[in-house]
Amino acid sequence: MQFIIVGIGGQGILFTSKVLGHIALKKGQKIVGSEVHGMSQRGGSVISHYKIGDYRAPLVLKGQADILLAFDQMEAFRNFDFLREGGQAIVNVHEARSFENDSLKTYLSEREIIVHKIKGYDILKKHMNGNFLFLNVLILGAMCGAGLGNVTIDEVKEAITELAPARFRDANLKVVDLGYEALIKA
Amino acid sequence: MSKKAILMGNEAIARGVVEAGCEVASAYPGTPSSEILPAIAKYSDELETNTQVEWGANEKVAYEIALGATFAGKRSCAVMKQVGLDVAADPFMTSANFELNGGFLVIVSDDPGCHASQTDQDCRYFAMYARIPCFDPSDAREAREMVFDAYDVSEKYKVVTMLRPTTRVDHCRQDVELGEVRKLDNPAHFERKPYAGMIHFPARLDRESIPMRNTRYSKIQEDFETAFPKYNYEVPAKGKASLGVIAAGICFSTVMDSLKSLDREDISVLKIGTPVPLPLKMVEDFIARHDKVIVFEETYPVIEMQISDRNSIMGRWNGHVPMERELTIDVIRTYLLKALGEDEASSDSIEKLQQAQKELGLFVRPPRLCPGCGHRPSYSSIRKAYPNAIVCSDIGCYSLSKQQNAIDTIISMGASITVASGMYLAHKADGIGTDRPIFATLGDSTFYHNGMTGLTTAVYNRHAFVLGIMDNSITAMTGGQDHPGTGSKMRKDEEGVIVPLEDAVKGCGVKYVKVVEAYELKNNVQVVKEAWEYAKSDEEPAVIIFRHPCLTKLKVKQEQHLVKVDQDKCVGCRYCIDFFNCPGLAFDEEKKKAYIDERFCISCGVCVEICPVGAIVPVKEDDE
Ligand code: SF4
Ligand code: SF4
Repeated sequence: MQFIIVGIGGQGILFTSKVLGHIALKKGQKIVGSEVHGMSQRGGSVISHYKIGDYRAPLVLKGQADILLAFDQMEAFRNFDFLREGGQAIVNVHEARSFENDSLKTYLSEREIIVHKIKGYDILKKHMNGNFLFLNVLILGAMCGAGLGNVTIDEVKEAITELAPARFRDANLKVVDLGYEALIKA
Repeated sequence: MSKKAILMGNEAIARGVVEAGCEVASAYPGTPSSEILPAIAKYSDELETNTQVEWGANEKVAYEIALGATFAGKRSCAVMKQVGLDVAADPFMTSANFELNGGFLVIVSDDPGCHASQTDQDCRYFAMYARIPCFDPSDAREAREMVFDAYDVSEKYKVVTMLRPTTRVDHCRQDVELGEVRKLDNPAHFERKPYAGMIHFPARLDRESIPMRNTRYSKIQEDFETAFPKYNYEVPAKGKASLGVIAAGICFSTVMDSLKSLDREDISVLKIGTPVPLPLKMVEDFIARHDKVIVFEETYPVIEMQISDRNSIMGRWNGHVPMERELTIDVIRTYLLKALGEDEASSDSIEKLQQAQKELGLFVRPPRLCPGCGHRPSYSSIRKAYPNAIVCSDIGCYSLSKQQNAIDTIISMGASITVASGMYLAHKADGIGTDRPIFATLGDSTFYHNGMTGLTTAVYNRHAFVLGIMDNSITAMTGGQDHPGTGSKMRKDEEGVIVPLEDAVKGCGVKYVKVVEAYELKNNVQVVKEAWEYAKSDEEPAVIIFRHPCLTKLKVKQEQHLVKVDQDKCVGCRYCIDFFNCPGLAFDEEKKKAYIDERFCISCGVCVEICPVGAIVPVKEDDE
């Protein structure tokens, strides 16, 4: 299973791969991935690669990722080429119009890519007082809601409980559910 | 039972350092190496070792501290990024001629693709230049393991030994086995030997040290032919190989996954983990057994250069491997196929995606200063006071002020000050020395790193410029490390002494020193003018310390001042976008008006001072 996680520096995307890794390690799986640290973390485009299984190199080859988790829709558009045919994406949407682009629609349908959209900013504004730092757990919840990644919502919750600071635990668990519900209904 | 954890490559290296019994570790942070030293401190605490873990003010300092500990017989290490070794090159080159008393590891991270660096240099060349051995890990697991062997080699040959990870090893995450600490019975001891101690005068260098170093290098090379079958080995093809690949460091892992994606078993791979000195017989035997051989290594052709007959290989020298750029998995796959004389089928759908990307106006988002960062208004106050000032900048977060068109030069740590001196002298030589305001700007950590020597030179020689120290009380760009100005140390229960920035500046001989709150933009425009007038009239550098804590390190939430852009007042001039450039400010290209992007704005309120027509205004309580 190969993941690409994209977003903007400062959105907390590193925590997402940390959770995925934590779960995989418990299952005795082999893991290798790559993160971005340093300058790009200051608001630049960031990308994490994550591979579970018998791999050695940290980077995912274009056209081979099973799952794309995008904290920002623009970054999703820039990185859709990582997905394999039939791959799936969770995308945080802040401006739905761009998805109407014809070339984009053709690309996605030709490659049979399924995009699950979540209005992350709206949800966090409504339920979390606009604290957008919860995007990472929201996306993890959404991933489970969409049935992707071979992980269950319980595994994600357990991992977050073990990894996140205690004072954010309840809020984090609440947001995981918000993400889960947003996509399970859809 | 062995324990496993998911570690970042840098943590795996740190784990190896602590487990191997290193007792003194020193570093200066720099991406991609920054996480190594804090992880050494963390594991030293966890494993309850007596390891001394410290930030040096710069890499030369860190290197010499670790070297001194080695003179006293301890296992030690110095950690830095590649350009850090440039700073430490003086003691590095010299210590390569020595026979050391304890194991000494210099861990240097290279950055292929220049993700966070100003050079693409390959420090394995540096090892070759200094004639010392170098290990080149292919992943996090191997990096940890190599630390043990590097220390053993260092002690066996009494030689400085290099571990050279690259960004993708430093910042990979992988499941890694954890071990226990090797207990070394190794009390500090330094024996006084009047004629053969750690002093190498010219006569001794020529007769003893340099011949010793050269013989030692040949012996290590001989040893490396067979000593490390776990790092240097062949993955044979099934049947007759249609291609031989020599791959070192991370490139080996990448080659293996590329072959997997291509489903190829007719290619044999020679993995090299000790590129300097190269196990030459092993490599040349591999080449002799294959019709075609291609070499993948980063970033320079270090292995290629050591092979006696380069005509027998495909590599950088004859264009079969690109001379620049990171060798990512996509690049390696493409060049493997080319070497095989095969082409990748291109698909039409990809063109659709590229078309969409063009239509949607996508771009790689450049890094920017955080919303609410104190550096942004500091630079604005200089620009507002003197729009035509020459602003020499430096290495740190504030380099990102390039996005607000606020700075003109960046070279190396501390060079803002010295380049400003040079600019001043260039104008002085024409007899117009003081016509155009000259500014130098650098951060607090960079000032301690290499700012003081330049500043004393400027005071001594009467150079007229204003130095703005962008003081956020941390080494921010690399993730928030301490330095002499913060006084905090890394090991549990250890506190250092604060060296106050103002005192350090005054100690350099500067008479004009003003400390201001960076957010007070209006006031600071006046201070900037006053400082330049002083520098000009007294022919001396004047210093302004712009202070505001790094927002990523705030302990308490700062005051909130909600702002909005009054859509009736905004004239669409883009000043706030082009010359302030906060992520919280966006521009609506259809309406031609600026607006606040609430996804990123943190309501610091500073931009109210920026708009030339006063369109950015505070949100009042009774507003909607
Ligand atoms: S808010 Fe002010 S500075 Fe920004 S575009 Fe409008 S008028 Fe120009
Ligand atoms: S108030 Fe203005 S300067 Fe401060 S974060 Fe918001 S947009 Fe940026």
